[in-house]
Amino acid sequence: MKQIMRLGTILMVVGLVAAVGLGLTYTVTREKIEAYDRQVEAKAAVAALPGVKSIEELEEDKELARKVSEVEGVEKVFRSDKGYIFKINTKGYGGPLVVAIGVGLNGKIQGISVISSRETMGLGSKVLEEENLAKYRGKTSDDPLEVGEDVQAVTGATITSKAVAAQARKALEAYDIIR
Amino acid sequence: MEETTFWYEFKKGFIIENPLMVLMVGLCSSLAISNRLENGIFMGISLTFVLVMSNIIIAAIRRWIPDQIRIPIFIIVIASFVTIVDLALKAYFPPVYDRLGVWIPLIVVNCIVLARAEGYAYKATVKNALADGLGMGAGYTCVLLIMGFIRELLGTGKLVLFDVTILKIAPPYNPPAIFILFPGAFLTFACLMALLNRYKARKVEQ
Repeated sequence: MKQIMRLGTILMVVGLVAAVGLGLTYTVTREKIEAYDRQVEAKAAVAALPGVKSIEELEEDKELARKVSEVEGVEKVFRSDKGYIFKINTKGYGGPLVVAIGVGLNGKIQGISVISSRETMGLGSKVLEEENLAKYRGKTSDDPLEVGEDVQAVTGATITSKAVAAQARKALEAYDIIR
Repeated sequence: MEETTFWYEFKKGFIIENPLMVLMVGLCSSLAISNRLENGIFMGISLTFVLVMSNIIIAAIRRWIPDQIRIPIFIIVIASFVTIVDLALKAYFPPVYDRLGVWIPLIVVNCIVLARAEGYAYKATVKNALADGLGMGAGYTCVLLIMGFIRELLGTGKLVLFDVTILKIAPPYNPPAIFILFPGAFLTFACLMALLNRYKARKVEQ
């Protein structure tokens, strides 16, 4: 019994010291990490809707925001004078694939920009390059947006191609709910 | 005498006991992230930091660590430093963090760190543990840099360091993507192993 108490106490002391050290590091870095995440997100959102000047997060309109969040993967909605921007987080090939998709007031996709991705460099990453994503411009919810039909898969990156096509469908689905 | 020991403990990590090429521990993450030179630099620094800090702390408190619970204590120490590196990289070098991704948190289970804690630092002085950590870390980083250099250059046709292209192979060269994928890691690693073995065999002959 005495031995167990002794071992437990030592473990607890080590654990406490470690926890204090981690707490301090977390406090120091938290602001920077959050600021960077927001910055990346805002930059991508603006890039997804060409010509947009200011965007605001759709939150005060709680009813609508809740409805949109029912579309799986849609994390955030930004409203702007040119249309809506959807932050969509779904699974890619290498892990979470987060993009911002801008849909204009005419219901057409205006642009897709990547917030974060873990896709394979040289294969999946090719799907996320500007010239490939530009092919989605002008698509509406009337388009099938299926790989093999109106969207071409990038060789060697079928899964990433399918993931992006699905994200485009989700953005349009969410747009239809808002409208 | 002290000086030579410190130097010996440091230098053994490069060739005699190189963690990747000779001890063959910690291979998983190194094969995965060595597709870019830049990854090698940051992964090397991160691992060296964790290794040095955990070695020092464990050597310093080893007198008070009871044998029965030494492994949990090692894990707490190692996991703490890994989390510190994880947060620091995310806060100060976010683009690098995005690329190294899950491999940073996975340093916790990297054999090199635990093996040095259990097999070396637990029985060594702080000074030797520091030398061992630095040497092992440097040996690991060297191998990563060599592999990253070969794989990035052959697999993408160029070397990019901090957003600057420092080396480029002329256009008729069509880079085979296999080098930046997992099979390329095995190919490159096997070739390096073969070279090292040949070098060692020659030395024995002489």
